[in-house]
Amino acid sequence: MKQPDEPIFDEKDIDDAAGTTAAPAVRDRIQRLADQQPYAVLCVQGQGQPYGALVAFAFSPDLRHAVFVTPIATRKYRLLSECDQVALVIDNRPNKADELMEIEAVTVTGRSLLVERGAEFDEWAGLLIARHPYLKSFVQAATCALFRVDVARFLHVARFQEVSQWIPDSHS
Amino acid sequence: MDSGQPLLIPLEASAQWDDQLVGGKASKLSQLAGAGFGVPRGFCLTTRAYQRFANNAAIGATIRMELGRKPMDDMRWEEIWDAALRIRATFLSQPLDGALRDAIAQGLAGLDPSAPLAVRSSAVGEDAAGRSFAGLHESIIGVHGRQAVEDAVRLVWASLWSDAALLYRKELGLDPANSRMAVLVQEMVAADRSGVAFARDPRDMRKEHALIESVPGPCSLLVDGLVDPDRWELDRKTRAVIAWLPGQRDDGQDDAPLLEARELEQILDTLLSLERLFGWSPDMEWARQADALSVLQARPITTGVPEADEKRAWYLSLRPGDKRLKALRRRVAEQLIPELESVGRAFAAEPLDLLDEQALADAIERRSTALAEWKKIYWDEFIPFAHGVRRLATYYNDAVQAEDPYEFVGLLRNQPLVATQRNRAIGELAAKLAADEALQSVLDRLLEECAGALRWPAFREALINKAEGAGDFLRDFDALKERFLDIAYDQERLYDQPEPLLRNIVELSRAPGRSGGDDASAGETVTALEQRLLDAVGTERRDEALEVIETGRISWKLRDDDNLLVARLESQLLRALDEAAQRLTAHGRLSADQRPNDAHAETLMRALREPSAGPIRLKPAGESDATASFRAPPGESPRQLIGQPASPGAATGRVRRVRGHGDLGAFRRGEVLVCDAIQPTMTHLVPLASAIVERRGGMLIHGAIIARELGIPCVNGVRHAVESLKDGDLVTVDGHLGIVTVGAAEFDLELGVRVLP
Repeated sequence: MKQPDEPIFDEKDIDDAAGTTAAPAVRDRIQRLADQQPYAVLCVQGQGQPYGALVAFAFSPDLRHAVFVTPIATRKYRLLSECDQVALVIDNRPNKADELMEIEAVTVTGRSLLVERGAEFDEWAGLLIARHPYLKSFVQAATCALFRVDVARFLHVARFQEVSQWIPDSHS
Repeated sequence: MDSGQPLLIPLEASAQWDDQLVGGKASKLSQLAGAGFGVPRGFCLTTRAYQRFANNAAIGATIRMELGRKPMDDMRWEEIWDAALRIRATFLSQPLDGALRDAIAQGLAGLDPSAPLAVRSSAVGEDAAGRSFAGLHESIIGVHGRQAVEDAVRLVWASLWSDAALLYRKELGLDPANSRMAVLVQEMVAADRSGVAFARDPRDMRKEHALIESVPGPCSLLVDGLVDPDRWELDRKTRAVIAWLPGQRDDGQDDAPLLEARELEQILDTLLSLERLFGWSPDMEWARQADALSVLQARPITTGVPEADEKRAWYLSLRPGDKRLKALRRRVAEQLIPELESVGRAFAAEPLDLLDEQALADAIERRSTALAEWKKIYWDEFIPFAHGVRRLATYYNDAVQAEDPYEFVGLLRNQPLVATQRNRAIGELAAKLAADEALQSVLDRLLEECAGALRWPAFREALINKAEGAGDFLRDFDALKERFLDIAYDQERLYDQPEPLLRNIVELSRAPGRSGGDDASAGETVTALEQRLLDAVGTERRDEALEVIETGRISWKLRDDDNLLVARLESQLLRALDEAAQRLTAHGRLSADQRPNDAHAETLMRALREPSAGPIRLKPAGESDATASFRAPPGESPRQLIGQPASPGAATGRVRRVRGHGDLGAFRRGEVLVCDAIQPTMTHLVPLASAIVERRGGMLIHGAIIARELGIPCVNGVRHAVESLKDGDLVTVDGHLGIVTVGAAEFDLELGVRVLP
């Protein structure tokens, strides 16, 4: 039994979940959460130092790719240049502690890739702008870099401890 | 909002609906139409139509982004204007969906297709009793055709977020989530006379007097203050005319009153009927066509509650209409600026050293008085005329609907600004110096040796002795000084301070090719944009467009020049004060370390006029910069400062703050210029800078414009910019995003941070 002050999910949860076959409903729940939440915590690392930052994101319809932008003078850009292994945490946590059981969260792991300007950039930027139209000039600014995350797996957490894994490729 | 509510309601039916759906103006006019008053036909696009448009176009998020950039109380009116312009551009760039277009088409089908239309705001609560926000939102008249109505509707919607409305955001309760606006589309009355009438005298509501004002033609002439009205005061009971004041109009009018007795009575009757209907005393806009009286608007009279914020009231006065702008243009360009130039020249020509003490005191008095007068003219006429640029902005954006709302700035390039001419002369001198390495090196060494304590005659002599081309260089430098440096900056005459400029020229000589902004490509931009605007407005409005462009250009040029011309008067006052101080020092009445500024004019005049009086002391200048008291709390330091992206590009460099004339000479090429605001007196530093950061915000302020011309990144509107950054800080200025990042691009990770046990 976990103590309430422990993290909602940890490596053990992930190990437990890894062997299970997620019901198709998990994909839908992930999709719903990704649709509802406009912002995610981006987790990056460099020289052993983890770092987190909020980003506006969008997913491709097949959930295989996520996309976000960052100004190039930022720490997260620097760290992304150094290490492409990233995670995104998306959740619907409320501001009240007693609603713990209603929280859903998903941790997305994958590799990030800087998308150069061109047709591919326009396509991914279009996806992000469609979701966040007010960020159009930000996304298109010459000093912003657009990253695509190729998703390795989703880890969906509900009811405090219930963790399910979904790997997009395994259902393709 | 109930999705079952209609997008469009005929005007006559609007009163049956909640004010929250149709707004106050439409609701009242509908009531009047129902009660049998003459009201022009029309329809109301409901607040649901606004919400449908705003939701579809994610406009709420755009508004939140604009208004959330920094605390609105910290925004200067120029920044608020910029935010409103960007919001307006967003509204204009978004298409109406099929349902909205259909609703408008349906409304228009019920109106006379040949009648010009008025598209007016009907905001929720805008005319509530006890307060009036008249003039904050837009009304567009003379609209023809469906497309023009759709454009006008978007403009009126956007005016819910106009600069004026944003200034009154607290009183209006403006909120991106809940604020909305209905729009009224009505046939216009081809009025032979029109006006405004008050059921009671707003100056004294207790009196049994009504007021009626009338102008020939449409009411907009009166509301916009373009035509002086005839004015009557009537007894509400006896209907007798108590007073008639004819308007002052140069339209060849005869002396007869614009309204006859029976017409006045008809208007008074209407006012009193409205009063009975609504239960409050109305203020009514009316129009007459032949013998028919139409009510254009009715709202409760607001009694002149004094405006708590005088600056806000002053700002609202800065929106002259086209006719007033034209008149201002004539007065400013043809009369005031030449006069100001001539006053400056006359002061400069006066041989102060030959005057006796009394005459010198008189000279100080004349200069001091002239400076005060011209400062008043600056606020009263020069600044309102600067609206010409903003008028050009909205005119261009409305016609062209450019994606970048600042595209029109290209039309202002290549103007022969005094500051541009000075910067070009400085650039030419720097280029000559660059071509003479020997002179450059000697000048550099001598400046190094004198280290801020340059004595001009000795310096000249040393330079001439040590470098062959020095004579020519100094002749050019003297000419530059005579022509452009008779200006005051930070209470110093730049004319008396050649060292900073010499240092700047040496620096510029090492960074050639960045002094222009008036090259051939700029000319091409100007021509292309002009053509774009003319194509958009069509042949019918060609002359009008050319007029707006020309007024915008003159407004922009003079807005820059007038600063320098007033700075010349300040310089000439300082010259006289310095002369006085020197004489008083020579007579032992003033300590040699006391430097006068313009606040000491009175003291020095008195001392000169009373030669037998004792020694004097000059009061030290107080701390003038209100932001100087800002200090970051201990342990806090900025990592990213946010401002407005005022000129695109990104650059990394060391901070050099310019807080006064003493910092000018220290500026080195490649540094990031950080200041409160770039003054026209210091724009020559800009070509040396790798980037600019200003506390003062605005896309049309001097620093932003010159940075864009030179392709230098600029972020402005940065709170506490000067206090938050230190000389030598490494910063990255991102002029695309409006971000200033403090620290190296390569960040230290936490590896070396000691972890406490």
